Amino acid sequence: MKKYHLVRRPRQSLGRLLIYYLIGITISLGIGAILLASLGINPFEYYGRMLTIGMIGNKYAYKNIEGFLKILVPLLITSLALGLSFKMRFWNIGGEGEFLIGAISAAIVAFNVTGLPRPLTIILMCVAAMLSSGLLGLAVAFFKVKFNTNETLVTLMINYIMLYVITYLGKTKEDWNFFLDPKSARPIFGKFPETGIMTGIKIGNFNLLWSVIIAIALIALIYVYLKYTKHGYEIAVVGDSNATAKYAGMKVGKIIMRTMFISSAMIGLAAGLTASSSGTISETITNNVGWTGIVVAWLSKLNTPAIAVTSVLIAILQFGCKTAATKYPSIDSNFADLLQGIILFSVLTADFCATFTIKKKEDAKND
Amino acid sequence: MKKLVSLVLTAVFAVTSCLSLAGCQSQPAATSGTTTKAEETTAGSKGSDEAKPAEGSFKVGAIYINSQNDTSGYTFAHHKGITEGMKQVGLDPSKDLYIVDNVPEDDEKVKQAIDQLAGDGCNIIFGISFGYINAMNEKATEYPDIIFSHATGYMSNEKNFNNYFGRIYQARYLAGIAAGYKSLAIKNDNIGYVSAWGTEYAETCSGINGFALGARSVNPNAKVYVYEISTWGDQEKERQAAQVLIDTYKCGVIGQHCDSAQPQIVANEKGVFGCGYNSDMTAEAPKAHLCAAIWNWSAYYSTAMKAAMTDKASFMQTVGNYYQGLNAGLVDVSPLSENCEPETADAIKLAKDLMIAGKWDVFSGVKLSFSGKAGAVTVEQKNDALKDNQGAEKVAAGGASVGDDVIQGSMNYYVEGVTQVN
Repeated sequence: MKKYHLVRRPRQSLGRLLIYYLIGITISLGIGAILLASLGINPFEYYGRMLTIGMIGNKYAYKNIEGFLKILVPLLITSLALGLSFKMRFWNIGGEGEFLIGAISAAIVAFNVTGLPRPLTIILMCVAAMLSSGLLGLAVAFFKVKFNTNETLVTLMINYIMLYVITYLGKTKEDWNFFLDPKSARPIFGKFPETGIMTGIKIGNFNLLWSVIIAIALIALIYVYLKYTKHGYEIAVVGDSNATAKYAGMKVGKIIMRTMFISSAMIGLAAGLTASSSGTISETITNNVGWTGIVVAWLSKLNTPAIAVTSVLIAILQFGCKTAATKYPSIDSNFADLLQGIILFSVLTADFCATFTIKKKEDAKND
Repeated sequence: MKKLVSLVLTAVFAVTSCLSLAGCQSQPAATSGTTTKAEETTAGSKGSDEAKPAEGSFKVGAIYINSQNDTSGYTFAHHKGITEGMKQVGLDPSKDLYIVDNVPEDDEKVKQAIDQLAGDGCNIIFGISFGYINAMNEKATEYPDIIFSHATGYMSNEKNFNNYFGRIYQARYLAGIAAGYKSLAIKNDNIGYVSAWGTEYAETCSGINGFALGARSVNPNAKVYVYEISTWGDQEKERQAAQVLIDTYKCGVIGQHCDSAQPQIVANEKGVFGCGYNSDMTAEAPKAHLCAAIWNWSAYYSTAMKAAMTDKASFMQTVGNYYQGLNAGLVDVSPLSENCEPETADAIKLAKDLMIAGKWDVFSGVKLSFSGKAGAVTVEQKNDALKDNQGAEKVAAGGASVGDDVIQGSMNYYVEGVTQVN
């Protein structure tokens, strides 16, 4: 094996990438089909249900679109936000923690600010969420800039701290704990007052939540921010090389702190919107977007439109796998997760193969 | 080359996943005394061939906290109950059952699960975990045509939303009798009890009390030491708790209210005895296990499904909020193992008959006491106040049983003879 080594392909071609993806997905679906068939399930029926997110033969198909969008919006916003920090090579893997603190802050507002009109309450919730998450991100960036702490470790730990904070809130039946349902003897999270619950635009039976519109607007906003503003340029330069940025007279510390604030605040916004659309919080409110968002951002090569497309595809995969499993009592969501894992794994493998190639050592020397 | 590597990788991945799946599937077959999934499915299709109702006319939805492929524990017991119940009313679990599993107690996720089941055309939806309560309550209004049935909760409405649970404390009383006889035989009055929670939840509290009263009906000197693990299930903690109870508190019989068989396995290792929960744990602890308090959820599920199939509109009148015990066969003790003392079977039968006939219940001002050798065991009812472990009187001597609301909701004291050690 010594004779061979990995070389990045000189030219990236979109066509090659798509072909590799297609091969990868086909292989993984093939493996899935064998597994399904071995369990006595018609794989075509299963995949049909999966790719249409369970809408075939569904009495309330529009509900599945609503449910799908509720999964998509936080994933999309979080991926965009993580993309921002990754672009300047700041390894923010604290999406989960930033999301949770945002959700908790939004809940504090929702439970305590009553009497204001609904839109105002929800805006307040989102602002509180963005501020708390943003400040958390800012703190991490501050330590990085000031003391050169390892941001990967710090953000990772934040995830666990916040997870335990929300678990504590959800399990502690005390008089001060306004997060809980006062009517229940056992501790469970309470429901927000009506003013804290997001409505949407009614299209027939279908309810288009405002959060969807905000998410679409954010895609455009981030695209413009990264591509056409001075800030966006600065982020790109810092990502390429700190030294270059310094040499060009940029204040690298300031740029890092500013970008981390924006990135975390966006995750906070995702949390505020999610809390408001579900009307409550829970330990599982993040739906793992802090982790999945990392995959989405990297699969999209940090390209904003690609992030939008990839999060849609991943959300279809997530939602579709779960809903498809419903109809077959013999397969549970562990199988759905397994299938998801196989598909993601093969896509990542395909991505790797499209980016790198294996060359003989002599050839490489000649390059 | 790289293609080869990726191919090999994917192939290895596929093979391992196949193997692990196969492994999961073959596991249930190893546990004796429990019907395996495969058997259920085949039996189900056979049943539907014989007595077929209008095809696809009635669909059952279920929301589980764990997976239907579990081989023991809470979700397993409910899934078994639902599939058996379906067969009893002529439904085919492989076709008419829709499941959303691994649903956490998160309103949003429960609501999505309900939407999916409603969309798939389910006529009745069972939610088995307490935290589903608010979501089910809300969705019951949104889908008035679907019956919502929620285990362990307290909410309901007049048309299509009920709650159900069972008098498991009665079964625990019976298991307590077995433990009491054992404690007499081994001349050790200390009985241990690994519990998920203590007095915080009436469900665990009433279970501990029922077990203690049962043990003390046979051995009035018995002391029950409760170790609370503060979670419904954690195999490692369950193990440690049992070890502490045996090593430090010198307990000779270990009862339990937690998910796995670990306390019984520890009892088996240490040469003491035990009473399991949820399923017959004799297979896991052959030398230790006496009998387990078990659920037979199909008793409820078949009743509920039959009522919903016959006349949906009157569901809340025919079934309503369901709270039954030994009388309906909803709870019971597993078959007594060979480890039990010879008098146990007779005494349990006597107590059981009294409860089934409605002549006596556990938390009343009348206590049972058993005497006599095997084959000639007699029961005596004595007026004796129900006291908590501080000596405060809860029910006067001869008084009627505390209300169901107390047993289900507000019981927060231990009876005489119970001590929590942590």
